[in-house]
Amino acid sequence: MSKAIVTPLTQALAEGKLTREELKRFMQRSNGPGLRRLALWILLLAFTTTLITLSWNSWLLWPAMFLQGVVLVHHFSLQHECVHYTVFRTRWLNDLVGQICGLIIILPHRFFRYEHCDHHTYTQLTGEDPELIPLPKTLGQYFLYLSALPYWRGKFTEVFRHARGNLSEVELRFIPKVEHKAVFWDARRMLALYGAVFLAMALTGWWGLIWYWIIPLFLGEPVMRFVRMTEHVGRPTVAQMSENTRTNLVSSPMAFLCWNMNYHAEHHYVASVPFHALPRLHEKLKDHIFVEKGGYLAAHRDILRQILRRNPGQKAEV
Amino acid sequence: MVSEKPWRDVVEASKLEKNWVTRIEIGPRLIAIYDTPSGVYASLALCNHGGADLCDGYFDGHVIECPLHQGAFDVRDGNPVSAPATRAMRVFETRIENGMVQVRL
Repeated sequence: MSKAIVTPLTQALAEGKLTREELKRFMQRSNGPGLRRLALWILLLAFTTTLITLSWNSWLLWPAMFLQGVVLVHHFSLQHECVHYTVFRTRWLNDLVGQICGLIIILPHRFFRYEHCDHHTYTQLTGEDPELIPLPKTLGQYFLYLSALPYWRGKFTEVFRHARGNLSEVELRFIPKVEHKAVFWDARRMLALYGAVFLAMALTGWWGLIWYWIIPLFLGEPVMRFVRMTEHVGRPTVAQMSENTRTNLVSSPMAFLCWNMNYHAEHHYVASVPFHALPRLHEKLKDHIFVEKGGYLAAHRDILRQILRRNPGQKAEV
Repeated sequence: MVSEKPWRDVVEASKLEKNWVTRIEIGPRLIAIYDTPSGVYASLALCNHGGADLCDGYFDGHVIECPLHQGAFDVRDGNPVSAPATRAMRVFETRIENGMVQVRL
């Protein structure tokens, strides 16, 4: 008998955590919820953009840019959902919105899709999960990661490597050969577009996008690093989905920003479930997964406790 | 091209999951049978990208989506619709005769 690979979903079905009928209901898609949330999203962006304009000649410009940045970096969450085709029922809408998100946060959509596939196949397995964030060994490493400096260094290295027509050993594992050229051209097109944007700003003398987009993006990225750490960091580096992933119960505004990706263990169990159904899936699976009821802050307290246990000489109140 | 292989009864048509995908075991093979607006189709059940069981995936119209990575295929001809699916999946001629779904395997 040819056998399917064992996935968190097949395990959940086999163990009766989820029935086939429930699975079918959870997976149902429509465009309405995604379009409504996207409309609110655009309104939120318009609001934070207006704040920057209103605070242009005062020190309030910097907090306004930070707020804009917090929203901008959460395009990662929307892009992530688009990779899974779980925002809209219409598949090309997911591709279109995902591409736009990728341009905003400098993350080519196709490359991210392939990288993310291996993250789902080998979640939290050291040496196999290309998105694995290791538990920092020291407080210094923890704060360095949160600064987003290593993230940006890695991201720019990656994009320029692809534009030059090269892939790393790890990338060769998860990008099929037939897609190599497409990945290279995605990176080249992205860099060309950014080059054109900067050239246009230089020619017109209007450098507004630096203040509305670039600086906010870099100011906001530490917030995304803070959020991303809560998903797996500090959880056991094992294959069991009930152990290796953390669901964080967060406030409604934060759940809005991250497109319900705080329900991360549920997402890993059934990645085909649209973002708007994840809270309902949580009610079904909450007794079978690791749930951090204290949200992002409690997750970081847990991470810091683990770092300090490794380094009893370092003192911090957590 | 018309296959020379004989038709095989695989399941009663009334037992198919309506507008969805049904998993069938035939000898050593896992087969996915799709009930669609334009008729019944069949393919190998395992995704040719990551090996997951397509029968646990999301099915919409004529598109089956892998539950693991959300790559997708058109069940009418097996062609990939969305990455990470890049190769056509294997499909089989299918028909309904006297209430039975038949497949040429």
